[in-house]
Amino acid sequence: MSHVSKIELEINDLETLEAACASLGLQFVRNQKTYTWYGEYMGDTPLPEGFSADDLGKCDHAVRVPGAAYEVGVVRKDGKYFLLWDFWRDGGLERALGPGAGKLKQAYAIERVKREARLKGYRVQQAKSVKGIRLVLSM
Amino acid sequence: MKQIVIDITEDGEVKIETRGFTGKSCVEESRFLKELLGKELARQLTTAYYQVDGKTCVKKHLPLCG
Repeated sequence: MSHVSKIELEINDLETLEAACASLGLQFVRNQKTYTWYGEYMGDTPLPEGFSADDLGKCDHAVRVPGAAYEVGVVRKDGKYFLLWDFWRDGGLERALGPGAGKLKQAYAIERVKREARLKGYRVQQAKSVKGIRLVLSM
Repeated sequence: MKQIVIDITEDGEVKIETRGFTGKSCVEESRFLKELLGKELARQLTTAYYQVDGKTCVKKHLPLCG
């Protein structure tokens, strides 16, 4: 073993996000400019960093989740994509995507690594681990 | 065998671990993954990082004054 790094995930590739949605059975809708949410910011939770209450409900693309009343907004900002969504219980998103939409972020990271690693000639093995998914890249 | 192991949790947390590399090649080899996925928050170097061709380099600082 040589070193261990912890990474803060950033979403920067739309095609990979689209593929990640497909892998989870979600519908990615390009150029949908609004997403369904409660419709009014109640001030009871912090806003996502870099966003104001006026930004809520607006997006560049959206993700529809089967069985959920609300949608996830995908917003492009500073060359990256941010996920905006309302986690209110009745909206159904947290139930489907986990806290912080973690399952969607996980699927994105898996897809991103697999695609790029194969392009670079790595052999990729995927297995379930105690805390999630483990990918092993070897030459 | 040289391997890069990536653990991705259900809350989207990513941990990258290089195995079987010696010296700084591990950092170079895994750089593309960090650039793909985001920002490196923390890095922990292990013994193998300080090895060159399988031999551990030990730096000794000799007290020359006092």
